[in-house]
Amino acid sequence: MDHCSSCVVRNRAICSSLDAGGVNALGKIGRHHRLVPGQTLIWEGEDSTVVANVIDGVLKLSTSLSDGREQIVGVVYPSDFIGRPFGARAQHNVTALTDAHVCTFSSSDFDRFAREHPELEHKLLDRTLSELDRTRRWLLLLGRMTASEKLANFLLDMSERIAPSGCKTEAPLDSFDIPFGRQQIADILGLTIETVSRRLNDFKAQKIIAVPTRRRIEILNRAALSDIAATPNR
Amino acid sequence: MWTHYPELLQRPVPRYTSYPTAADFTDQVGAQRYVQALDAIEDGTPLSLYVHIPFCEEICWYCGCNTARSNKRSRLSAYLDSLHEEIALAAHHLAGRGRVQRISFGGGSPNAIEPLDFVRLVGDIIIAFQAEDPLISVEIDPRQVADDWISVLRSARVRYASMGVQTFDPLVQEAIGRVQPYEDVLSLTHKLRDAGVSSINFDLMYGLPHQDQHLLMETLEQTVSLSPDRIALFGYAHMPHIIPRQRRIDTAALPGEAVRFAMAATGHDFLVEQGYQPIGFDHFAKPDDPLAIAAREGRLHRNFQGFTDDESEHLIGFGASAISQLPGLYAQNAKNAGVYRAAVAEGHFPIERGVERDSESRRHGTLINDILCHGKAPLPHRLTQEQSETLEEFVQRGLVTTGAGQVHLRPAAAPYARTIAAIFDPRMAGRIGSFSAPV
Repeated sequence: MDHCSSCVVRNRAICSSLDAGGVNALGKIGRHHRLVPGQTLIWEGEDSTVVANVIDGVLKLSTSLSDGREQIVGVVYPSDFIGRPFGARAQHNVTALTDAHVCTFSSSDFDRFAREHPELEHKLLDRTLSELDRTRRWLLLLGRMTASEKLANFLLDMSERIAPSGCKTEAPLDSFDIPFGRQQIADILGLTIETVSRRLNDFKAQKIIAVPTRRRIEILNRAALSDIAATPNR
Repeated sequence: MWTHYPELLQRPVPRYTSYPTAADFTDQVGAQRYVQALDAIEDGTPLSLYVHIPFCEEICWYCGCNTARSNKRSRLSAYLDSLHEEIALAAHHLAGRGRVQRISFGGGSPNAIEPLDFVRLVGDIIIAFQAEDPLISVEIDPRQVADDWISVLRSARVRYASMGVQTFDPLVQEAIGRVQPYEDVLSLTHKLRDAGVSSINFDLMYGLPHQDQHLLMETLEQTVSLSPDRIALFGYAHMPHIIPRQRRIDTAALPGEAVRFAMAATGHDFLVEQGYQPIGFDHFAKPDDPLAIAAREGRLHRNFQGFTDDESEHLIGFGASAISQLPGLYAQNAKNAGVYRAAVAEGHFPIERGVERDSESRRHGTLINDILCHGKAPLPHRLTQEQSETLEEFVQRGLVTTGAGQVHLRPAAAPYARTIAAIFDPRMAGRIGSFSAPV
């Protein structure tokens, strides 16, 4: 795929571990897909047939509880990798929260390719380790945190992971658009929409954030937001 | 210094990692009974999980564990798929009841699987049971531990690690089919510490072929120089009629009972002199290690992995041959990996055997546990004549005192603890075979 050289996440995605030849070869087995909000790319429990790089958009990882409820176990952003190479079953549902653009590979193609490119396999391990870390923070957030703590963590996480296209820098953004509405924030964090709005207004009143438009968030005092986000457990 | 009374050690006795012991498991306990026991787990109950990885890079000749060589990647990955499914099945069944506080990975060698597979396993368990910060412990084969594994242990926040060392002597190592240079253990010990492992255990053995007191002492000196937080010093149990792989070990090269006793005694004295606190009858720990603290505070327990500071009454085992330890029963998964996988594929718990723990067996179990873990127990009101006579033999030799309704083991009774516990085990009457020598 000739898109690779101009791909906006090429410096940050898992393929960044490859040299130009490797990127080219991987690109040849990739396919671009566009998803609309609510569309599911991977279903939990089904044979793991596809893995993907997120190029644009935000997706949620979820699992079904025994009582039928859905539990969100993570949120993925541009340059994140989804799916489980070398695994037989998909562990989560992967569903678009926004319009999303992904670069998919058939699992068998990707597995074969990764075997031949140890640098990619290594990167995959690194990614899986950071996912484990994020999973733990996420569970802590869902299980132990107050609404303010949840929201502060969510905003900080988003400011770090929704970095602009093509940018290789690790610096978090102080100003960004939340790509979905208050109701979806509430659903992700297990809060009511009223609580989300109230807490955002609190942050605003404390001059920790500014909300110039309904979607726009500006972090005015990152240290204060981090203080709120920090719990005794961390 | 312990005194050797061979006449007290004639009878093979159980290791009592459970009561009733695995020798009493029958097929009367199956999946249905296990499901009932899971259903009885209430909200917020502390849970411990055990995950069995029955694979090793190489099979050592002395080992009595349920293991196979990990030479085929396809076999490993099929097993891991079943493991993931079994974990999902249990989590689904518990539906959020219970709080997972500990996860232990044992085997075999958990590091026989790919680091990536291990991270996924940890991640899936953490999600399935909503356990954001469990205490994770892992058994490690110190041969060929790739640097990837070390970074995985660090990132997965593994806190306890246990290494199978057995012996540092090259000739003894060769005689048991486990060649493992001292340098490997040295370098792994440092790497584990750097990776944030806070308690490192060495498993050592006495009674190995060609081993004598001198060779054991050398191993112990090398061990102490690496300063592990815990040491387990086990007697090698030679039972080639039950464990075919042990037939490769030269029976003629095995030390006799008197030498075995002397090794256990010298080992004990040396480790105590080096500042280790004896735990139960075969473990040692630095005084500031959680295991030693638990022992001093009377919080020591015994489970399938030996002496532990884990206080949970609910241990759920995953994987082939894994044993679940619940208040009402012990249940063991199918030992054969194929049988195990077939059951899980059909959506069933792969329980093969087990035993009920009724109130009477729990009472006996508590007494045996008290003797082994705390060195004292309430003396039962009614003893048979045989029980009284047997107990008296230990009293006469000054190993045990009785009084104020208590049976009390003196420190020198440690090598006899299992034998003394067996006096109060009604299931021992008339039983022979299947158990190993007490020392």
